[in-house]
Amino acid sequence: MVRSIAQKEFISTLRDSRFMALSIIVLLLLLAATVVGLHSYSTLQKEREVAQQTVNDQFANSADRHPHRMAHYGSYAFRPKSSISFLDFGLDSYTGASVYMEAHRQNSANFSQAQQSSSLIRFGEMTVAFVLQMLIPLLIIFLCFAAITQEKETGTLKILLSQGISLRQLAWAKIAGYSRVVGLVVAPALVLASPLLFSRGGYDLEADVLLRLLLFIVFYLIYFFIFIVMSVVVSSWYQRSSTALVTLLGIWIFCCVILPKASANLGANLYTTPTKAQMDADVHEEVAKGIDGHNAHDQRAEALKQELLRKYGVKTLEELPVNFDGIQMAAGEEHSSRVYQEHFEELTGIFENQNRISEYASFLNPYLAVRHLSMGMAGSDFRHYIHFQNRAEEYRYHLAQGLNHIQATQLKYGDKQTRLSSDTWKSFKPFTYETPSAGWALGNHLLSLVALLLWLVLVCTVGVNRINNTQIT
Amino acid sequence: MSIVLEAKKLRKEYQDKLALKGLDLQIRSGEIFCLLGQNGAGKSTTINLFLGFIKPTSGAAYINGLEVASHTTKVKEYLAYIPENVMLYPNLSGLENLALFSSLAGFSYTQDELVQYLVGAGLPAEAVRRRVGGYSKGMRQKVGIAIAVAKQANVLLLDEPTSGLDPKASNEFSELLLRLSEAGTAIFMATHDIFRSKEVGTRVGIMREGELVDVLAASDLDANELEKLYLNYMHV
Repeated sequence: MVRSIAQKEFISTLRDSRFMALSIIVLLLLLAATVVGLHSYSTLQKEREVAQQTVNDQFANSADRHPHRMAHYGSYAFRPKSSISFLDFGLDSYTGASVYMEAHRQNSANFSQAQQSSSLIRFGEMTVAFVLQMLIPLLIIFLCFAAITQEKETGTLKILLSQGISLRQLAWAKIAGYSRVVGLVVAPALVLASPLLFSRGGYDLEADVLLRLLLFIVFYLIYFFIFIVMSVVVSSWYQRSSTALVTLLGIWIFCCVILPKASANLGANLYTTPTKAQMDADVHEEVAKGIDGHNAHDQRAEALKQELLRKYGVKTLEELPVNFDGIQMAAGEEHSSRVYQEHFEELTGIFENQNRISEYASFLNPYLAVRHLSMGMAGSDFRHYIHFQNRAEEYRYHLAQGLNHIQATQLKYGDKQTRLSSDTWKSFKPFTYETPSAGWALGNHLLSLVALLLWLVLVCTVGVNRINNTQIT
Repeated sequence: MSIVLEAKKLRKEYQDKLALKGLDLQIRSGEIFCLLGQNGAGKSTTINLFLGFIKPTSGAAYINGLEVASHTTKVKEYLAYIPENVMLYPNLSGLENLALFSSLAGFSYTQDELVQYLVGAGLPAEAVRRRVGGYSKGMRQKVGIAIAVAKQANVLLLDEPTSGLDPKASNEFSELLLRLSEAGTAIFMATHDIFRSKEVGTRVGIMREGELVDVLAASDLDANELEKLYLNYMHV
C-alpha cells in the first residue's frame, strides 16, 4: 500500500510542470553555489598556500640579524581553508585569514573577506549551505503543503481510506514519495558536484574529509526529512490547502528567519562582549604589572636578576653563564602571553555562551541545529576559528621563546651587535596547520546533534500519530 | 439471503445538530436500497458511519456482522464506495488511477484486466491511457465505478453517484447496478433521483431530519406515486 502511493506521489509530482520548474531552478542554484564555492575555495586556498610559503621562505632566508630583532620581525600564520568549507562558508567570511606573529604581542586574525568586500556581503552569500538550509525546505513546503488537504478537498481521501489504507499508512506513503522527489532534486547536484570536488588536482582525499562530507550529507538528509514529515503532518491538521500553506510558511519564517536572529540578539544581550579597545587596554594594564623585557630598571626584572645571581653564585650579570637579556625577554613573554591568553579565553567564553543560546534554540528549531552541524562539518564554525587562533598563538609563543633562548644561550649579556646567520632561522620549523578531526568537530556540536535527532523522533512519532486525529468528513 | 449491512439504533449527534436519530435498517445481499432525502437529511452521515469515517454517538453499524466502529480496517475489505464527485488524481491516467486504487485494496490486475474494468464501466477505450485531468465528470465517475467493481466487494456504498451525469451515463450506471445486484452485491445508494430509485431499487427509504420516515418496496408503486409520497414527507 505504502509503496503504491509513494510511487503515485513520485510520478504525479514529476508530471507537475510547476514543481519541475521550481526544482530545476533550485537544482541550478545548488550547482551554481557548488561551482562558485569551489572556485572561491580554490582561489583563497591557493592564495593562502602561496602567502604562507612566501612568509616561511622570507623568515628562513632573512638577513643576518640579532635574534630579538628577528623576534620582532616575526612571521604570519595563514589559516588554510577546510577541505569542504566550499559547501558552507560559515563564519569564514567574517573571521580573519591571517595572524601576524611577533614578540610581546598577540594579534588576532585579520583580513577577513568581509573586511575586503562591499557592504553587499551583509545580505549573505549564495552558498550550497544557503540553498540546502533555506531554499530546499521552501521547496519541500511547496511540494507537501497539500499532501493531505488536497485529498480532503477533492474527496480522494474517502476513496483511499475506503480501499483499506489507514491515515498513518497514507502519511508514511506520502512521506516516502516526497522523500524520493526531494532526493531527485538534491542527488543530481551531488552527482554533478562530485567530479568537480574529487577531480581537482591536489585535493586531499583523507578519510577524515570523507567522514565530514558523509556526516554533512546525513545531517541534511535528516533535516529535509524532518521538513517533509512536518509538512505532511501540518497538512493533515487542516481542511484547506491554503491554510496549511500559510501555516507552513509561518513555520519556515519562524525557523529560518526570526528565531536565528532572535537567539543571536538574545545571546549578545545576555553575554556582552568587551570592545577591542577595552580588551587591549585591560591586557596592556595587566602586562604592565609583569616583567618588561625591554626595561632594565623594571623592579620585577631586578628581582629576577637578583634571583639568578643568587642561583649561580655570581655578583654581576656579565658573570652569569646565560645572557640575562634573553632570560628577561623570556620571562616578559611568558607573562604577557599568560595575560593575553586569560583575556582571550574570557572573551572566547563570552562568545561560547552566546553561541550556546543558539545551540539551545536548536531544540525549538531544526534549522539552527543543522546550521551548527553544517558549519562544524565544513570546518567554518567559531570553534574551528578558535582552534586555528590557538595553534597560531602556540607557534608564536614557541617562536618568540625559541629566539629568546638563542639570545640567552648564544649571545653575551649586553650584546646588541651580534648578527646570527640565516641558517639559524632555517632551524625553526615553519608554521603548519592541521584541521582537527571530524570527531572533534562533532563533539563541539553534540547539543545540535541531539536536537536534530530529537526533532526527527518527535515528528516521526508524536507528529505522525496525531494524523490519526485527522477529520475525514 | 443473508444480511450484510445493518444499522441498530444508529445515532449521531454533532455539537449543534442531531444528524441521525436512531436508524434501524437491514440490507441483504443482492438488494439495492435507495435512500431519498433532502440535503442535510442524514444520508451522507449514514454512509460515513458505515464507512467508519465517523463514530456513532450510540447504536452500531454492521457490515457482514462486524461492528464497523471496532473493525474499521477489516470491514473495508467487504465494501466499495463511490462518492458524488469522483475526483481521482489528475496527473495519472484512468488506467493508472485504477491500478493504484486496486493495489491499495490488495488486487494486482494485468493491464488488460484493468482496461476491461474501465471499458466495462463505460469509459471509452481511447480514454483509458489519457490523464484524468482531461476527463469530464462523467468519465471520472466511470473510473470510480471501475474502482468499486474491481474491488469485488459484496457491499457497495454510493453517495449520490448519478449527480451530474448525463441521461445516457445514468442509464448505463443503472444497468451496471442491476448486474452487480444480480451477482449478489448489496447496494446502499443515497440519492435525490426519485426516478432512478424506482428504476433500480429493491426498496426505497425516505429520510427526513435524521429519521427514516418510510421504507417502501420499489415494486409497490410507480415513479409518480413515489415522487408524490416523497414530496408529501418533505412538506409535512
